[in-house]
Amino acid sequence: MNKELFKYPLNLIVHPFNGYWDLKYDRSQKLNLIISFAVLFLLAVTNILSSQYSGFLVNLFNPNEMNSFMEVLYVVVPVLFWCVANWSLTTLMDGEGKFVEIFTSTCFALIPLVVINFPWIWLSNVISIQETAFYYFSNSVAVIWFVFLLFVGNMTVHQFTPSKTIGIIILTVVAMGFMAFISLLFFSLVQQIIAFISVIYQELVMRN
Amino acid sequence: MFRSIQKGKAHLLIALCCLLGVSMGGTLVQAEDGAAASYNYSFWGDTVASPAAYQATTLLSGPGLGVGPFKDPSDLHVTPDKQIYVLDSGNNRIVILDEQFNPVTTIDSFDRGGQADTFQSPQGLFVTEQKHVLIADTGHNRVVHLDQDFKLVKIVEAPESELLQDTFLFQPVRVVMDKAQRIYVMATGVFDGFIEFNADGAFTSFIGANRVYIDPVEYFWKRLSTRAQRSQMVMFTPTEFTNLDIDDEGFIYATNGDLWGDNIKKLNAQGNDILRRTGYFNPQGDVRYTNENGPSRLVDIDVADSEMYSVLDSKRGRVFTYSGDGHFMYVFGGIGNQLGEFNTPAAIERVGDDILVLDKALGEITVFQTTEYGRTLNEAVRSYYRGEEEKAFQLFNQTINMNANLEFAYAGIGKSLLRQGDYEEAMKYFKRSMDQRNYSKAFLLFRKQVMREHFATIMTVIVVLAACALLVRKYRRTMVRKRGVSIE
Repeated sequence: MNKELFKYPLNLIVHPFNGYWDLKYDRSQKLNLIISFAVLFLLAVTNILSSQYSGFLVNLFNPNEMNSFMEVLYVVVPVLFWCVANWSLTTLMDGEGKFVEIFTSTCFALIPLVVINFPWIWLSNVISIQETAFYYFSNSVAVIWFVFLLFVGNMTVHQFTPSKTIGIIILTVVAMGFMAFISLLFFSLVQQIIAFISVIYQELVMRN
Repeated sequence: MFRSIQKGKAHLLIALCCLLGVSMGGTLVQAEDGAAASYNYSFWGDTVASPAAYQATTLLSGPGLGVGPFKDPSDLHVTPDKQIYVLDSGNNRIVILDEQFNPVTTIDSFDRGGQADTFQSPQGLFVTEQKHVLIADTGHNRVVHLDQDFKLVKIVEAPESELLQDTFLFQPVRVVMDKAQRIYVMATGVFDGFIEFNADGAFTSFIGANRVYIDPVEYFWKRLSTRAQRSQMVMFTPTEFTNLDIDDEGFIYATNGDLWGDNIKKLNAQGNDILRRTGYFNPQGDVRYTNENGPSRLVDIDVADSEMYSVLDSKRGRVFTYSGDGHFMYVFGGIGNQLGEFNTPAAIERVGDDILVLDKALGEITVFQTTEYGRTLNEAVRSYYRGEEEKAFQLFNQTINMNANLEFAYAGIGKSLLRQGDYEEAMKYFKRSMDQRNYSKAFLLFRKQVMREHFATIMTVIVVLAACALLVRKYRRTMVRKRGVSIE
C-alpha cells in the first residue's frame, strides 16, 4: 500500500493511457483522492519554495510581493475552476466522467510540474546564466507533459474521441473565463452591498 | 509557464477589483522638505528615499549681477575655464560672467562688413573650446558664428536642399559645433533631425531623425477614412528634438518630447542612437508618474565628464543625472517658489561640479552645489569610469553608507571584489544590485574555485558510491539467481 502510493502515480505519468484507465475503473477512489490532495499540496509547496529559494539567476522575485497563501490559491483555484467548468460541460456533452474522476485525473496530470520543478529549485542555485537554458527547457517540458496528461486524462475519463477532447478543453478554458468574470461580479457586488450597509450604519451611529 | 499564466490572471483579478471597487491612489511618492531629501528608483520601480546630492546655494538675477534684468533668457553655456555665457533673448544680448559670477562683458551687436548688426530674439547659444560663440539668431533666421574676440567669422543662412519644402522657414533654436567645426542646428518645424552644416557653413545633411510613433487606434480610423477625410487628419510625423549638447568625443546628446520610447539619445556621426541603457530603467526622467501629469518633458541636456549627463524636466522642474551606463544617480529641483525650485526652467549647465539652472520667466539662475553625498557619488562614478577599481570600491562603500538604497553602487563594489578574487563576496553584492549577468560571472569563477579545492573529495565520493552501487547490484543478482535455482 505504502509503496503503491508512490509507484502508482509515477507509473501513471509515464503510461498515461493505461494509467488513467486504471484510475477510472480499477483503483479505489479513496486512494485516488489521497494522492490527488497530496499532489495539490506538493505543487503548492513547490511553488512557494521555488519563489523563495530558486537561484537568483532564474528567480527575480520581489520579496515584498511574496505571499505563501496566494501561492496556494494560485494552485487550488485554477484546478477547482477547471474541474467545475469541465464537469459542467461534459455532463451536457455525453461525458462519462464523474466529478471525482475529473478532479483526480486533473491532479494526477499536475505531477510532472512537481517532479520536474522541485529538483530544479535546488539545481537552479548552482547554474550560471548560460545554463539557465536547461532550466527553462525543463520547465517547458513539464508544462507540455502536464497538458498532454490533462488531455489523455480527460479523454479516458469521459471516453471521448481525441478531437472532441480538444474541443472540450478549449470550451472549458472559455467557461473558466466566464466563471472568473461572474465571481468577480459577485464579489464586487457583495463588496458594494457591504460598503452600503456600513455607510448606513455609520450615518445612524454618527447622528446621535 | 503555467504559474505565470495563473499569476497574470491574478493580477488581472486584482486590477479589476481595483477598477470596480476602490479607486487607486497613484500618487508619486516624494520626499518631504525638498531641500533635505531626494529620491531614487529601486530595481522594482518603487520610489525609495535618498539623501539630497545637490543643494541650491545662490540665486543669480540680472539686477543682482549689475547687468540689468534678464528678459526671457533661454540658454546658457559654460566654457571649460568656467566662464558663463547667458543668452538674454528678450534683450537680444549675451552676458558673460566669470567663475565668481561677476559680469565680464556683454555682447549685443557685432561688426558685419563695417556695419553693426544685432540679434533678434536669439534662442540658442554655444561656445566652443576656442571660445568661438555660435548664436542661433532665431528672429533673423540665421546662425551667427563669432570668434573669441566677438568678430564675425561667418553667418549660416537657411539650408538649400530639395529635401525642404519651398515654404520652409529656417528658425534655428539650438546650435552646437563639434571639434571639426561642423555645425549642428536644431530648427523648429524640422522633423528630419538636426541640420548639419560643414565648416564653411554649407548645408550637408540631416542627422538623427526621431522614429514615427503610430497610434494603432488612429491608424485604424485612417484606414477606414476616405482620401479626402485623411487629408484633414493629423499626419504621423516624427517628434521634434527639444535640445542638444555635444560631448568631448563629438557625440551629440539630444532630448525630445516623445511620450513613447526613448526621449534621451546619444547620436554618433551616422545619426544612430548609441546611448547605453543598462540601468534598471531607461533614462527618461521620472519612472513613476500619474496619468494626468504624464511622463517627464525633457527640455535640456548637459553632458559632463565621465559620460555623466543631466537632463532637465520642465514639467516638474527636476534635474535628473545619469551615469554613462544609464544608472539613475540623483535628482533635485522642483516647481515652486522656494530657493532651489523654479517657475519655467529652460536650461541647465555644469560649472565644474556645480549645476546652474536657468529660469526663463523669472530671468534667474539658480546655483546648485554638491552635498557630501553628491560629491562622493560623483567621484565614485568617475573613478569607476576611469577604471580605478580600488578607489571606486572605497567611494562606493562610502556612498552606500550614506544611502543604502543606491542599488547600482553595489554592482560597483562587486566588480572590484571580483577583480580582487573574492568571488563569494562579489556574488553577494551583485545579488544586492540585482545584476544577474555579473552575478553569473562571479558565480562561475566561484564554482570553479570550489570544484578545484574539493576535487579530490568529490571524486572520491563519486567513485565510492559507484563501487557501492555496483556491489549491491551484483549481490542482488546472485541472490535472485540462487532463489531462482532453488525454486526450480
